[in-house]
Amino acid sequence: MDYGLLVMGAPYSDPAPHSALRFAEAVLARGHRLAGVFFYHDGVHNASSLMTPPQDELNLREAWKALHERHDVPLDVCIAAALRRGIVNEAEAARHGHSAYNLEAPFELTGLGQLLTLQQRCDRFITFAS
Amino acid sequence: MHASEDFLVVIRHAPHNASWLREGLDAALVAAAFGQSVRLLFMGEGALALCKKQQAGAPGQKASLPTIDMLEMYDIDQLNVPERTLNELNLGLESLVDGVSTLTDAQVSALFSQNRPILNF
Amino acid sequence: MTLHILTTAPTSDAARQVEQALNAGDTLLLIEAAVNAALNPQWSCWTQSTYTVLLLEDDLVARGLGDIAKTHQLATVNMDGFVALTEQHEQSVTWY
Repeated sequence: MDYGLLVMGAPYSDPAPHSALRFAEAVLARGHRLAGVFFYHDGVHNASSLMTPPQDELNLREAWKALHERHDVPLDVCIAAALRRGIVNEAEAARHGHSAYNLEAPFELTGLGQLLTLQQRCDRFITFAS
Repeated sequence: MHASEDFLVVIRHAPHNASWLREGLDAALVAAAFGQSVRLLFMGEGALALCKKQQAGAPGQKASLPTIDMLEMYDIDQLNVPERTLNELNLGLESLVDGVSTLTDAQVSALFSQNRPILNF
Repeated sequence: MTLHILTTAPTSDAARQVEQALNAGDTLLLIEAAVNAALNPQWSCWTQSTYTVLLLEDDLVARGLGDIAKTHQLATVNMDGFVALTEQHEQSVTWY
């Protein structure tokens, strides 16, 4: 089956990203396909490439990135929710005159329409929020 | 109540309380813009989003009432509140914007028994 | 049938709201802070019999509540079982 995930919790403030990653691994282990992960609300912080947890803690951004690299899972981030919270890619940083950016591939800024498309396209759609 | 497979967006957070309300309503508007028939269910403190006298909050904190007023333009005319919510909050229907309909316990649970897309905020 | 996933404690608003959404034959899966419900076998979701209630084992054990859930004879699933539940239920709703 095709699975889509919606993640709405921030890393390290909220258990939702850990739950979602653990679920993603279990979905793949049972032979399903992960068609996409959409980050909304505080979930957009999962995409921050400036995330710097202590060495003995899982770097959640790196964990999502690894999921993408191993299974080609698209990682879509709601652009409106991200910009408000200071999560910007190079193009948006330039557009808004910021001197730095913190969102890079494989994360992609996209509209909410992508969330609805993912929900429609998948056989199963599971939300993680706490 | 018609039993079509409309898109159900559940709002459970009050105005001026994190951005759950605003981001939930945004999702409803986008779904409507995509041509989906959207039904909004305001449960618990989410019902406060329908108070007709609400205003902008702390400096720079946007009001959500303009978004509620905009729903009609997007053809979102199903604004539902559980009777139970109004009783628990001691909130009267007359304090809410026009066009809100109340649902019995059975009608609320029935919304979740039909196979339809649901987003819960 | 719908799979309802609760992530907050049984005393939370979300816990009261999911009870309003549950129908006969549904399944309620308790994850994250919702596994605290293992402490209270009198909780209304445990004492009813129209829908199934399960605890996510990983979160239960992480919080040191595994033995308590056993004593209270409460049912658990592991992560693999969580995915199996989503296979069996076309629809899922998360309450937080």
